[in-house]
Amino acid sequence: MSSYFEINELKAEIEGKPILNGLSLTVAKGETHALMGPNGSGKSTLANVIMGHPAYEVTGGEILFEGENILELDPEERARKGLFLAFQYPVAVPGVTVASFLKHAHDAVYGEKKLKAAEFLKQLRADMDFVGVDQTFLNRYLNDGFSGGEKKRMEILQMLTLRPRMAVMDETDSGLDIDALKVVSMGVNKLVGAEFGLLVITHYERILRYIHPDHLHVLIDGKVAFSGGPELVKRLEEEGYDWVRNEFGKEALMA
Amino acid sequence: MSMNDTALAEKASETIAGFTEEAFSALTQPGNPLLRGKREEAFAEYLRLPAPHAFDEEWRKTDPALFRFDTWSALPSAAAGSVQPTDWDSAFDVVVQVDGASVSIEDRTGILSAGRAYVASLFDAAEEHPDWVQQYLQGAALPASTDKFTALNGAFWNVGIFIHIPEGTKLEKGIFLRYRQRETGAVLIPRLVIVAESGSEATVVEHLESDDEVSMGVVSARELYVDQAARLKFLTLQEWGRGTYQIGNDMAVVQRDAQVDWITLNLGSQISKLKFGSDVAGPGSSAELDGIFCTDTDQHIDQTTLQIHSAPHTYSRLLYKGAVMDQGHSVYRGIIQAKPGAIKVDAYQTNNNLVLSNGAIADTIPGLLIDADDLKCSHGATIGNLDENQVFYLRARGIPEHEARKLLILGFYDEILDRIPYASIRDRVHELLVEKLDRVL
Ligand SMILES: Nc1ncnc2c1ncn2[C@@H]1O[C@H](COP(=O)(O)OP(=O)(O)OP(=O)(O)O)[C@@H](O)[C@H]1O
Ligand SMILES: [Mg+2]
Repeated sequence: MSSYFEINELKAEIEGKPILNGLSLTVAKGETHALMGPNGSGKSTLANVIMGHPAYEVTGGEILFEGENILELDPEERARKGLFLAFQYPVAVPGVTVASFLKHAHDAVYGEKKLKAAEFLKQLRADMDFVGVDQTFLNRYLNDGFSGGEKKRMEILQMLTLRPRMAVMDETDSGLDIDALKVVSMGVNKLVGAEFGLLVITHYERILRYIHPDHLHVLIDGKVAFSGGPELVKRLEEEGYDWVRNEFGKEALMA
Repeated sequence: MSMNDTALAEKASETIAGFTEEAFSALTQPGNPLLRGKREEAFAEYLRLPAPHAFDEEWRKTDPALFRFDTWSALPSAAAGSVQPTDWDSAFDVVVQVDGASVSIEDRTGILSAGRAYVASLFDAAEEHPDWVQQYLQGAALPASTDKFTALNGAFWNVGIFIHIPEGTKLEKGIFLRYRQRETGAVLIPRLVIVAESGSEATVVEHLESDDEVSMGVVSARELYVDQAARLKFLTLQEWGRGTYQIGNDMAVVQRDAQVDWITLNLGSQISKLKFGSDVAGPGSSAELDGIFCTDTDQHIDQTTLQIHSAPHTYSRLLYKGAVMDQGHSVYRGIIQAKPGAIKVDAYQTNNNLVLSNGAIADTIPGLLIDADDLKCSHGATIGNLDENQVFYLRARGIPEHEARKLLILGFYDEILDRIPYASIRDRVHELLVEKLDRVL
């Protein structure tokens, strides 16, 4: 039986420059995994490749979601299968309001099962309250002039709206104040459960106090250099990535 | 006519096909003497002014030979049909229908009979208010000497409408002019004069329609006079069919503390060559000029906007946004001019273009004519494609690619659509854009 979400020997490059060099990682149903790694190690590249960003070229390997190789699918098809990416740097979309964007996204993802406009709005307003996004944001252009923290809350609001079954959060915790971090974590934990897989990309131990990972991976130079239990996050915080480089040495990276 | 026969003969080559001396004499006999005098003035200018050529700077991007006046009859019959009312009508006080060359006026809320506005054909206006017509027709905004086609319009106009809003009057709903052209082979030559007296407030909306199968020319001219502290909102939704070729010259003159808000929505026609804008001519006056355009198939829209500041302490702001698709072509020229002595002037101009197909072309040409030195002025133009990171963001949320592109293009226009003061028109523009985009994306 194949696992829920499985990346095998993934290789990807951008503009001819290899970034991911045979990355493997498996998330079982119901699990939360944390992914850490130095700046430029390829974490966001992985997130974008999972979602199907056309600028990245996959040169090897596969990504299986419930047994299907999703690399063949368009980004929108991946989203409709239940994949979600909370972006590290959400782009501003002037001209498209939050309400219109979320309704289009909901309709696209839910298809036949989409809610009627009034019901959708009611649900949306409740989710907005939950993640602390003011109702006035409904009529604002998406991410346009939003503060860093507001953009991150907006990503989580989108996640609650679309209710994915497998989510990747790319540094959603960066730039959040303590209260916002708690709110965002509560939002995520609403989805965490037996039918949900989560990959949390982060630089800080802080968020892992609220979202508890089952496993932790360290990405170095486009490969998972090391995987272990959540307890290792403390050691990483204290000793930095040199520790991983020394401990697991070149062999681990070359293997 | 003061010219002798030989001079006229020399100039004959400079007339536009069909708009000859004979055609002019036939038109003006006998006629109202005031209107005939105005027409003769314009006809003399028309003969004097050179016909435009493809090598003229102004016509460099739109060859005048593309306007096949030889295939249209110069003087269309006044085919009086009856245009059906639409559900837009209820949003207005007065509805004017122009079908062929026939004009009918419906006073829906009784403002005309109550004297809260005057709306009439130019023929009636010349009889009922000769002093107004004398002052404003071919007045300061658009004298016949402006150019060949303005003069042609002044001499040969076959639809004339005069709107006058009395001092201090505020119209609640506004005036709606619907042009519905169904006659093939004609040249529609509309002349519109709007006078908003001091302290008045009014909105005038034009909707221009013809079927794609109708082959016709349009030579239009509009004069807007916004007197002291008046506020005039003027909007044109141009959705002529693909057989329509139009040339237009329009100008607003805005007096002390007055404001014009002018929105042009150019979506239709096969070829449009338009020149228009405002002169903020009194201290404290301002002009807000917004426009959208969108060309697909092999449509061609060439627009020149004028932001003239002939008085000190004046303000103008312009935002024009366009998209070109298929083999569509758009040309935008933005001219800002501060006349000598026009100090403390703020003038802003932005033109943004999306080029959505490989075969499509958007040209943008800024031009500044500044004779004053104490002014704040900025102009900026962009030509580009959609931001692929935005497209990806929407797709990552499940929105199919073509839908994502459509949302982003509609979003590009949104800030201007938002300024359209009637929901029915906003919806119609939205619908027209979606029709175009669905076909191309
Ligand atoms: N569009 C691009 N063009 C060129 N190089 C790119 C592009 N996107 C990413 N890269 C390069 O790929 C490498 C990996 O970048 P990536 O964003 O995946 O790192 P990261 O692990 O997410 O870093 P951080 O912790 O700073 O977010 C970097 O060297 C980066 O410069
Ligand atoms: Mg990153």
